Amino acid sequence: MEGKEPKKEQKRHQQKHSGPKAERKKSRKQLGTPAGDDERKRNPKAFAVQSAVRMAKTFHRAQDLKAKKHHIPLVDRTPLEPPPIVVVVVGPPKVGKSTLIRCLIKNFTRQKLADICGPVTIVSGKKRRLTFIECSNDINTMIDLAKVADLVLMLIDASFGFEMETFEFLNICQVHGFPRIMGVLTHLDSFRNNKALRKTKKRLKHRFWTEVYQGAKLFYLSGMVYGEYQTQEVKNLGRFISVMKFRPLVWQQSHPYVVADRMEDLTDPEMVRVDPKCDRTVSLYGYLRGTYLKNKGQVHIPGVGDFAVADISFLPDPCALPEAQKKRALNEKERLLYAPMAGVGGVVYDKDAVYIDLPGGHVNQEQVRPTTELVQSLISTHTTLDAKMAASKVSLFTGAAALTPGEVEEEENDRVWDPETQRERRKAVFTEEEDDDDSEGRSEEEGDEEGESEEEGEEDEEGNKREEEEETVLKNKAKDKTEPKEKQGIKTIPPAKRQKMEERKLGKEPVVEVPAFADSEDELEMSEEEEGGKGEQESEGEESDSEGEEDEEDSAVEKGDLKPIDSGHCSEEEDASDSIEDDCETNVSGKEGKKSNATSKMEEEDEEMEGGELCYESAGNILSIQRSLRWKEGLQQKASEAFLRQQRSAPNLRKLVYGTVAEDDGDGGEDEEELGGLFRVSRPEKGKKHRADGVDCSRFDPDAINIVFQMLDSIRDCFVTGKWEDDQDAATLLKEDEELYGEFEDLETGEVHKGKAAKQKDQAKEESDDDEEEEEEKLMNVDDETQKNKRLEKKRRLKERFDTEYDDGDATYFDDLKEEMQKQAELNRAEFEDVDDETRVQYEGFRPGMYVRVEIPSLPCEFVTNFDPHYPIILGALGASEGNVGYLQMRLKKHRWHSRILKTRDPLILSLGWRRFQTIPLYHIEDHNGRHRLLKYTPQHMHCGATIWGPITPQGTGFLAVQSVAGTKTSFRIAATGVVLDLDKSVTIVKKLKLIGYPYKIYKNTSFIKGMFNTVLEVAKFEGGSIRTVSGVRGQIKKALSTPAGAYRATFEDRLLMSDIVFLRSWYPVSVPQLYNPVTSLLMPAGQKDSWSGMRTVGQLKHDLGVRNKPNTDSLYKPVVRAQRHFNKLHIPRELQKALPFKSKPKQDQPKGKMPKDLQRPAVIREPHERKVAALLNALSAVHNYKSKKAHTAQHAKHKDFLRQRSKAEEDKLKRQKEAKKKLYRMMGQKEKKSQRSSLKGESTEWDA
Amino acid sequence: MASQGLTYDGCNFFRQRLVLSTLSGKRVKIRNIRSKDDNPGLRDFEASFIRLLDKITNGTRIEINQTGTVLFYQPGLLYGGVVEHECNTQRSVGYYLEALLMLAPFMKNPLKAVLKGVTNDPTDPSVDQLKYTSIPVMKRFGIDGEGVLTPAKCMEVRSFCLCLRTCIFLYSVRVSPQMANRIVDSARSILNKFIPDIYIYTDHMKGDKSGKSPGFGLTLVAETLNGTFLSAEQVSTPQGQGDPVLPEDLGRNCAKLLLEEIYRGGCIDSANQSLALVYMTLGQQDVSKVLLGHLSPYTIEFLRHMRDFFQMMFKIETQKPAEDERKGGDKVLMTCVGAGYTNISKSIK
Repeated sequence: MEGKEPKKEQKRHQQKHSGPKAERKKSRKQLGTPAGDDERKRNPKAFAVQSAVRMAKTFHRAQDLKAKKHHIPLVDRTPLEPPPIVVVVVGPPKVGKSTLIRCLIKNFTRQKLADICGPVTIVSGKKRRLTFIECSNDINTMIDLAKVADLVLMLIDASFGFEMETFEFLNICQVHGFPRIMGVLTHLDSFRNNKALRKTKKRLKHRFWTEVYQGAKLFYLSGMVYGEYQTQEVKNLGRFISVMKFRPLVWQQSHPYVVADRMEDLTDPEMVRVDPKCDRTVSLYGYLRGTYLKNKGQVHIPGVGDFAVADISFLPDPCALPEAQKKRALNEKERLLYAPMAGVGGVVYDKDAVYIDLPGGHVNQEQVRPTTELVQSLISTHTTLDAKMAASKVSLFTGAAALTPGEVEEEENDRVWDPETQRERRKAVFTEEEDDDDSEGRSEEEGDEEGESEEEGEEDEEGNKREEEEETVLKNKAKDKTEPKEKQGIKTIPPAKRQKMEERKLGKEPVVEVPAFADSEDELEMSEEEEGGKGEQESEGEESDSEGEEDEEDSAVEKGDLKPIDSGHCSEEEDASDSIEDDCETNVSGKEGKKSNATSKMEEEDEEMEGGELCYESAGNILSIQRSLRWKEGLQQKASEAFLRQQRSAPNLRKLVYGTVAEDDGDGGEDEEELGGLFRVSRPEKGKKHRADGVDCSRFDPDAINIVFQMLDSIRDCFVTGKWEDDQDAATLLKEDEELYGEFEDLETGEVHKGKAAKQKDQAKEESDDDEEEEEEKLMNVDDETQKNKRLEKKRRLKERFDTEYDDGDATYFDDLKEEMQKQAELNRAEFEDVDDETRVQYEGFRPGMYVRVEIPSLPCEFVTNFDPHYPIILGALGASEGNVGYLQMRLKKHRWHSRILKTRDPLILSLGWRRFQTIPLYHIEDHNGRHRLLKYTPQHMHCGATIWGPITPQGTGFLAVQSVAGTKTSFRIAATGVVLDLDKSVTIVKKLKLIGYPYKIYKNTSFIKGMFNTVLEVAKFEGGSIRTVSGVRGQIKKALSTPAGAYRATFEDRLLMSDIVFLRSWYPVSVPQLYNPVTSLLMPAGQKDSWSGMRTVGQLKHDLGVRNKPNTDSLYKPVVRAQRHFNKLHIPRELQKALPFKSKPKQDQPKGKMPKDLQRPAVIREPHERKVAALLNALSAVHNYKSKKAHTAQHAKHKDFLRQRSKAEEDKLKRQKEAKKKLYRMMGQKEKKSQRSSLKGESTEWDA
Repeated sequence: MASQGLTYDGCNFFRQRLVLSTLSGKRVKIRNIRSKDDNPGLRDFEASFIRLLDKITNGTRIEINQTGTVLFYQPGLLYGGVVEHECNTQRSVGYYLEALLMLAPFMKNPLKAVLKGVTNDPTDPSVDQLKYTSIPVMKRFGIDGEGVLTPAKCMEVRSFCLCLRTCIFLYSVRVSPQMANRIVDSARSILNKFIPDIYIYTDHMKGDKSGKSPGFGLTLVAETLNGTFLSAEQVSTPQGQGDPVLPEDLGRNCAKLLLEEIYRGGCIDSANQSLALVYMTLGQQDVSKVLLGHLSPYTIEFLRHMRDFFQMMFKIETQKPAEDERKGGDKVLMTCVGAGYTNISKSIK
């Protein structure tokens, strides 16, 4: 509106051309000093240091402010591709949580989600993904979600105001690290009055601020339009969310965790059929968050319990961030949405079934595909597993190979119809997992392989294994030539690496006639190590240094291979051991020259052999080079070379140390023990046993000290006397010095000294300035260049050194620290950057941000049968010793809003770390002397100690306690909060114990006391103990007495009385009850998940059972009955009476009794006349009285008057007298003055004269 | 609830297993301890070691079966404090000390242990060797003096420097003082070819000061420019066991051992490899690297155990020397990401 109005013309500025201002300006211009610049010069006093103290103060303050901004620098460990941010939407029921999530999802992805069920992951921007989770009103859910939340959207019904749920959640957050919290006010449209609305907003805002922090963001959703929030407001909210920064939370940063967004039951359906209550194997999917997760660790699932992870594998990201691009917005295809539990992404969860939605009807086709692909691959591999099992059996009895093909075919038929059934899908996952890592089926499978192939040990890579499976199947099918389609399917799917192998396999296929070959072929990569080990084993006896022996070796290897199964089998264990004995050489020799020949196994063998050769002297190189000449044939070999190049990054030392399979543990040995239950692998036990009981010694001495002089020669440079690095060698350094300082001009004499080099150069110049000049110049140029470079390099180094020495004026300790951290972060990033994920995962664990699949065996069946996607499933990994249980000392404070104080030994539900569990705390307080004294109840408004038996959790972790997680009966559910202080395996809580005894014999200061103890032994234990009586007489226990058992002699500082009570104050250690009862709320049937109740308190039990305590009769109140007191007569002896003065003598007069009748005088009754007379007399006396009274008053007044007059006269008289006196005195004074003056005058005149 | 345990066979690497079990909190069961032996079960020195562990921890549960062939060990919290232990004489104090060095930084209270026993024997590192090689390693990780370490500092040790000088620590007990000179001469005869800078510390004891058993021994320590130490050690065989050793042989052999050690190279000598690795593993969740010489069998087994207990795998890279370089054999660069271990025994107030 204002813009439209015509702008008022303003008067333009007029430059002054005359007058004082203009003149001043002119003079300034003439002087040429710019204004302001010389102010310091012009008025130095104004800028001088007025006070050094003040300056110091300001400096201090500036430094303080600067230092305040510093945080302890931490190494930046945020992953490059971070996991989606967990946005938890919290609020009391009916506040609009689901609506908000729906609106936000619609805002980001343009999709409508009907039911918000489980976590919903979306791509919100080029660099950010969000996972929305709705939090129900159940306190279990609230606690769990507060632990994993990055951002909390706290919905508040403005028409109602804050509800307890909000504050409860805030308190939970406070205890478990404080995630970002954003308030959202809803139901603002219910306000009719604008002023009331504004007031409410302000009130709520300020309350929210006090709870979170001053200035915390509070959002207003002003109303609904067709059941949704206004688009613009949602958009704004979305923007806020997608640019928000988060603070690192200690717990989340130190513990990896997964918020599962997909769950699958992998249990064998047959087992479930046989026993519906059997433990389930379940795989859970989700983004890994927090920090690196190591495989095979322990996880806690809040609401279920602790479980060992059988296997973890990473999957392609189902909701990947868009690739790097320059445009600003995401296109439609990149706005992904992934919520398997909510029925998006291909899987729909129902109460008792899982449905797969295959058609790509959704916008996000990309993410649907992996699942289908997964399904397909699973299907195929599933059958192959069975097939393989059958097949392997066959090959075990080598002759009987013909038995199984028929069976195999049947299995394949299964595969065809598989995809529809849910069971199969599960299966499928199982196999899919297998191709990532090992699994249950593996051991059998492996056994089979061992049985059939000789040199096969354990595999290294999953792809490898899978390939091998296929190989076995192939082998079986070789005659049948079936299922090209299936192969095709697989080939399209697997990731790059696997594909490569497959290709390799394809190339080989024609050769795969004999089963034995097939295996040796695809084992190529691993056989290399295995054989390496073996070769070494073989070559132990022989010296493998020389070329000439090569052939012999080969033959040896062959022999080795022809030997029975075990030679290959025990490879892992044995080659390790052997190599150890071999002083663990590093075998890095001629691997590059590795070839893969399909034709003859023998040859391959010997290359392998060579590859694995371990030798100190790298003579092997020459060998390999020779070999490589022979190998340049065939395409296959190229492929294998490529593969080996990849392998080179992980040298064989790793295999030497960790065995062939990185994933495989030492426990593999047990599984291998049996093959199909019937047969045992016979192993050379002797060697192993020898090792098992070897001497435990860390020395690393060669067996015989035989140092070859070649070796002596080879370490010559390790000493300062030897040759150093090129640029640091003593000789070169000397030379350089010469160059630098050799040439100088003596200024005094004018003599020019030239260095040797320069002289030489000069000479050279003089000598050769003829035909060679050109060449020379070229050389010189090169020389110059190199020298220049060298010089520059040297200069740079010098400067660096100088800088480090003198240039640290600005660099504070803090800066240094920061730089150090920065360096470390860079190293962390760079170290494993170029390693492929499979290997990387082994070294550093699974990175946060990966989409992982976690397989957990032996979960209780209720977890699956009572599964409800509305409740979050969180996998929280546990640290090194956090799986153990022990005593925890913590500091606890009853929450100020909780209505009752807490009682010792009442079970309490704690949320600590990832866990929620019930335990029995003992409260205590520390006395001044460090003693922990047991308390019966928590203090009202004070911290106290609490000790529990619970899971070991790092100190400093916060916890919160609730009395019950069932329902919302109490007004404020959080009972207490606190922090873990200490972990100890012993408890030091004591409670006071007073032993009471009674003296039964008293001699002066010694007394015999009984009733305190029962036996002599007990007394003996307390000999010398200090005792006290109620009256405060202190004493000491001396010795036990024999006769009344438990009596003793004691001495006191004073004589006791028989009525005294003696007591002994002592402290009795209290043991903490060992109750640790995890809250298994997730196992409750659907709909009752918020009604978990654990151990009841004694009070609750009694209340529920209607049991009442019999009260102590002494403690009961009874009506007070007081007997009437009777006092005896005071009797004073006669003698005393006599002596007493009369006043105190008891008087003899009795109180007057009733007058006897005869003594009573009769009443006088007057005659009428007499009555009249009396009346008259009365009247007359009244009159008289009145008269006299009147007279009296008159007299009184008169007298008063008189007195006044007299006093007046008196006054006058005094006045007169005073006047006269005054007159008299004045006269006297004047007289005196006069006489004085005259005397003074007389003197002065005299003196004048 | 409690974390699953690990099972091992045989008494080899007994200390490793117990130490790692204590650090990781995982229980361990060792079966078949010398079960086929004529004298089955735990030896006295092993029992003594267990007792020492019990002393420095709190709440440890140890179960040994009647024959002593099965040991179950459930670790408690590392408590520390002042401990006095009478070590069994079958092994020297170094046997116990090696394990204590690994555990000491992770105690609740600073550990002050007084170990009484044999100081030198042919199988274990002597106290001298530990003092001159292990302590510098610990200092590298920021552990010095008394103090309780929370997480070990990350470290990158890569460059192996030149040997600056060599020190000879010599002791002879109840033998002729001439022996010492003979040892020195023979050791020098070899070492002088490489480096003339040799410091000799002789520790000759006689009479009351000396112990009961006569003998002599030699510890050679090579110091490098950047402050790492490599060492070798030889001790004469105890009287009446094995054939007697000539001092000349001993000196020569020991010098050769030192050369061997230098040949292997690395920033940490072979006896302390596992010590450095354990500190690296228990460090912060950052990449740390260390350059070692050849991995000793003990270290290799240690790495395997580390994987069992901490799921920790090291990236092992071999560094071959250049063609014309004469700086010993291949080196091994070990890289790992720390486990992010927190000292849970420490108490806060």
